[in-house]
Amino acid sequence: MDTKKRISMGVAALILIGVYFVPIWSISMDAPQYPEGIGMNITVDNIQGKEKNDLQNINGLNHYIGMKEINPDSIPELKIMPFIFGFLIISGVVIAIVGDRKWILFWLGIFVLLAIAGLVDFYIWGYDYGHNLNPDAPIKVPGMTYQPPLLGSKQLLNINATSLPHIGFYISLLSMGIAGTVWWKSKED
Amino acid sequence: MSKMLKKSLLWPFAVVAAIGFLSMGCSSNGEFGSSSDAAEKVYVAPGEHDEFYGFFSGGYNGQLGVYGLPSGRHIFTIPVFSQAAVNGWGYNEETKPMFQTSDGFVPWGDAHHPELSQTNGETDGRWVFINENNTPRIARIGLDEFRTQEIIEIPNSAGNHASSFVTPNTEYVTAATRFSVPMDEDNLQNMDVSIDSYKDNFQGTISFIKVSDEGHMNIDFQIRMPGFNYDLSHSGKGPSDGWAFFTSYNSEEAHTMLEINASKNDKDYIAAINWEKAAEYAANGEGKMIPGEHYRNYIDHEEGGVAKSELIEEVRVLDPRELDGLVYFLPTPKSPHGVDVDPSGRYIAAGGKLSTVIPVHSFDKMMTAIENEDFEGEEQGIPVLNYESILHGEVENPGLGPLHTEFDDKGNAYTTAFISSEIVKWDVETLEVVDRIDVYYSPGHLMIPGGDSQNPDGKYLVALNKITKDRYLPTGPEMFHSAQLIDISGEKMQLLLDFPTEGEPHYAQGIAAEKVKENQKRFYEIEGNNHPHAAKSEKETRVERDGNEVHVYMTTIRSHFAPDNIEGIKVGDEVYFHVTNLEQDWDVPHGFAMKGANNAELLIMPGETMTLKWEPKKVGVFPFYCTDFCSALHQEMQGYVRVSSEDSDVEVSYSTGQS
Amino acid sequence: MKISKIVGLMTVTILLLIGCEGGSDTNTEATANKEVEQELTEFEMTNGIGPVNEEITIDEIDPELAKEGMQVFDMKCGACHKMDSRYVGPPLGGIMNTRTPAYVMNMILNPEEMLEKHPIAKSVGSEYPTRMTNQQLTREKARAVVEYLAQESQ
Repeated sequence: MDTKKRISMGVAALILIGVYFVPIWSISMDAPQYPEGIGMNITVDNIQGKEKNDLQNINGLNHYIGMKEINPDSIPELKIMPFIFGFLIISGVVIAIVGDRKWILFWLGIFVLLAIAGLVDFYIWGYDYGHNLNPDAPIKVPGMTYQPPLLGSKQLLNINATSLPHIGFYISLLSMGIAGTVWWKSKED
Repeated sequence: MSKMLKKSLLWPFAVVAAIGFLSMGCSSNGEFGSSSDAAEKVYVAPGEHDEFYGFFSGGYNGQLGVYGLPSGRHIFTIPVFSQAAVNGWGYNEETKPMFQTSDGFVPWGDAHHPELSQTNGETDGRWVFINENNTPRIARIGLDEFRTQEIIEIPNSAGNHASSFVTPNTEYVTAATRFSVPMDEDNLQNMDVSIDSYKDNFQGTISFIKVSDEGHMNIDFQIRMPGFNYDLSHSGKGPSDGWAFFTSYNSEEAHTMLEINASKNDKDYIAAINWEKAAEYAANGEGKMIPGEHYRNYIDHEEGGVAKSELIEEVRVLDPRELDGLVYFLPTPKSPHGVDVDPSGRYIAAGGKLSTVIPVHSFDKMMTAIENEDFEGEEQGIPVLNYESILHGEVENPGLGPLHTEFDDKGNAYTTAFISSEIVKWDVETLEVVDRIDVYYSPGHLMIPGGDSQNPDGKYLVALNKITKDRYLPTGPEMFHSAQLIDISGEKMQLLLDFPTEGEPHYAQGIAAEKVKENQKRFYEIEGNNHPHAAKSEKETRVERDGNEVHVYMTTIRSHFAPDNIEGIKVGDEVYFHVTNLEQDWDVPHGFAMKGANNAELLIMPGETMTLKWEPKKVGVFPFYCTDFCSALHQEMQGYVRVSSEDSDVEVSYSTGQS
Repeated sequence: MKISKIVGLMTVTILLLIGCEGGSDTNTEATANKEVEQELTEFEMTNGIGPVNEEITIDEIDPELAKEGMQVFDMKCGACHKMDSRYVGPPLGGIMNTRTPAYVMNMILNPEEMLEKHPIAKSVGSEYPTRMTNQQLTREKARAVVEYLAQESQ
C-alpha cells in the first residue's frame, strides 16, 4: 500500500474521534403543544435532551402512559460504546501504519458488525421501552404501545416521533466508506 | 492517476452527505395562516360594540375579566375574591367586610367558574355567580353595575370546585367539596386525626345554595357524601330538570400521590342528585341541623352600599343513606372531570380525562334503571346504577385527555382534549366525531355563549388554553393565558383569533350584549345616596373628632376637594376620610390618595361615598390628591392635612377656598 | 343611443366620485360643521338653547318650591357656585336680574351645548377654567333651582 492509501486509512480511523463530540442518533417529537419541538440525542456515552430540559419533559410525558424513565446511567451500552470506538480508532491507525490490506477488510467487517449489532440493540431497547409499561399508569390506551421507530417517523397518539441518524453516524459511514475505498483501490497493489 | 485516486477517495463524502440530506425531513407545525376573512369576522370598528360579553374567570387572580367577543378586547376586570388596590375593593371601609370568612379576613381567592343566572333555561343577564376554590365561597356579581354584591361561604367543605352552576331558573347554585376532609359522623366538625385514617374519617359534602328573587344566597341544604373528590357539576334541564350531576374522582380514596393512586380504578362516579326531592325533604324538616359556621357578606344598598357580614351558625344536612331516592352513582370512566348536559336535557356527557372515549349517559335510561332498581351494587350506602343500562354510547377517538363539553344549537357537542391539544366536534345523537381542530396549547374549558344552557348560540366558541408559550410576544417566565376564538357557524371549525386573558381563566360564559347593555347604571343618584357618612353637598362637609377617631366628611367635584385644608389631626389618630363624589355624569370618578397611608386608594364613582382609613404615624403636613384624571385642572385637585404630635393642642379646623 | 350611454357612464362616474368624496375624510367634515355656526334665533339669544323652549315667568316666589330648589342647589350646584363670590363657577347671587328663568334652566339642563354655541355662555365660560358639567337634573328640579335663585336675587 502506498503512503497515500495508508494516510487515507489513518484518516478513516482518526475521523472517528469526531464521534465523541457529536450525537450519533436523534429522536425528535412533534406535537401541537410543543411548537418548538422536543427531542433527544444519543451520543457515544449519553442520552441528552436537544434542549436543556427536553429529557425531563419527555420523561414527564412518558410517566402518564407508564413508560420507564430514560436514565442514561442505567443503559450499559453507553458505558461500552466509547471503548468500542476507541478500539476501532487505535486498531485502524495500527492497520494504517502496518498497511496490510487484509486487515482493512477485517477491520471493516468488525466495524459493520458492530454497527448492525448497535442498531439491533437499539431496536430491542426501544421495543422494551415501548411495550413494557407500568400497569399503574394513569392513562391506559387499550392495545397501544409506544415503541419509537428505528428509522423514520411514527405517530404515537398525538405525537409524531421521528428517529434519524445524526452526524456521528454519518462520520462512521464516511469512515467505513474511506476504508472500503482504500481496500478496493489497493487490490491492484 | 492521482486525480483518479483523489476522486475515488472523495466519493464517500458525497454519498454520506446525500443520505444525510435526504433524511432531513421537515415537519410542519399546523400554523394557521391568518386570512383576511378571519380578520374581517373579528374586526369591531372603532366606536362599534362587540356582539357578546364574555365573562372570564381570572383563576388565581381571584377576579372576573370582562371581554368583548368577537374582538377579544379586554373591557374590564371586576374585583371579586382578591383585594384590588386599583379601586380600593377590599381596602376601603365599605368593602372590607366582603372578605370576612370563618377563617378571618381572607384577601385572596381562586376564582374558577363564572355562571350567568338563567330564567327558563336561558341566560337572563341579571347576575354572574363565580366560585372560590381555595376558601370555599360563592360570589354574586350584579350586571347592572358590574360589581360583586354578595359572597357566601360554604361550611363543611374544603376546596369548592364543582361550583357555581345554576339550575334552569336559578333556584339553586351548586357547590361541593373538591377535597374531602375528616368530619365526624354526628356533626361534620373538623377532626384532628391522622391523614392515613382517610377511609375511616374523610367525607365530602354537596351544597345547594338557594337564590332569592333579589339574589340573596343562603345554604338550603348540604348532602353528606363519601370521601371522594368532587370535581364539576351541571344541572339537568328540560326533562332532566330537578336533577343535578356531579363528577367525582379518587373513588380509590387515596390521600397521597393522587396522580398515581387516584388513577387506578377503571371507573369513578357521576353523582346524580335529585335536588327537587332534596328540596322537599329539606322543606319538610328532614335531615338535621348541624353546626356549620359561615359568613354571608353583602353590599347593603339600603345603607349606602356599605358591606355587612352576617354569621350563620347552622346548616341542614341530608344523609342519602337515610333518605330514599336522593343520590345515585353513575359509573363513569375514568377520573371524569367535566359533566355537561346537552341543550335538550336528555344526555349527560362526561369528560373522563384519563379515558380514551367520551361516555355519554342517557337521562331516560338512567330513570328506567332507577325504576327497575338496575344496580351494579352500592357504594357506602349509595346505589350504583348499571353502566351498560344507562349508557347512551361512547364517542370513539375523541382525542386524548377529554375534559369539557359545550353544545351548539345544531345538535353538536364540542369537547376539549387537553393532552392532544385539540377540540373535537361530535354529533350528540350518533356520537360520531365530525370535525376536529388543533388549539394552542392544551385547552381546559371551552365556552360557547349559552353553551351550557337550553339555548346555545352557535356562532363562536372560545378555547381557554392552559399553556401559552410562543403565542404572544414573550414576557419572561410568567405569561397571561391564551384564549382562541373559533367560528362554529359552518361545518368546519375555523380558528379566527388568539387573545391573551388575564390571570388563569378556567371557565367563561358569554351572553348577547343586548341582554346586558341596556341595564347599565351610569352613575349613582346623589339624592339616593343613603351612606351613613355621606356629605351630599359642600355645606355638609366637616371634620369631627371623637376621642382619637377623626371623621372627615369630604366631597369631590371637578376639580377640588372640600375641605382641602385640614388641621388638628394628631399622630395616633384613626382618621376616616368619607369621600362623596358629587358628580352626576357618566365616567367621572374621582380618586383619593393619601401620602404614606398603609392602604390603597379610593376610587369613587359619581354619587357614591367611599371611606379610607388612615393612621398617621409622623408629624408633618401631608398632601392628598385625586388619582383619576378628571378634568383639565386635575393636577390642581389636591389638599393638605396637618398632623401634629400626640400631645399638641392644635384644634380641629378645616376649610376650602380661604386664603 | 350612444349619447345616452355616455351620459349614463358619466353619471355613474360622478356618483362614484361623490361617493368616494363622501367617505373620504370625516375630519374635514367635522371642522366644516364647526365653522358653520348656526345662527341663534332671538328667543335662543334671550332664553338659551335647550329643552326649555318657551318663556318662563316668575311673578311671585313660591317659598315651598324655593326651599326644594335650595336643597337641590346645595347638592348639585353648591360645590361650584356660591352666591356672593367667584368660586369654581361664577357667583349666582343676582343672576335672575340679568338672565331669564328659561336661560338659567337651559344652562342647567344643557350646559354642553350652551357653552359651545351660546355667545353669552361662551364668554362667561371663557373666564373660568373648569367647564360646567351636566348634573342630570330633571326639568322640575331645574325649575325649583330657578325659583330659589330668584328668591336669592331679590
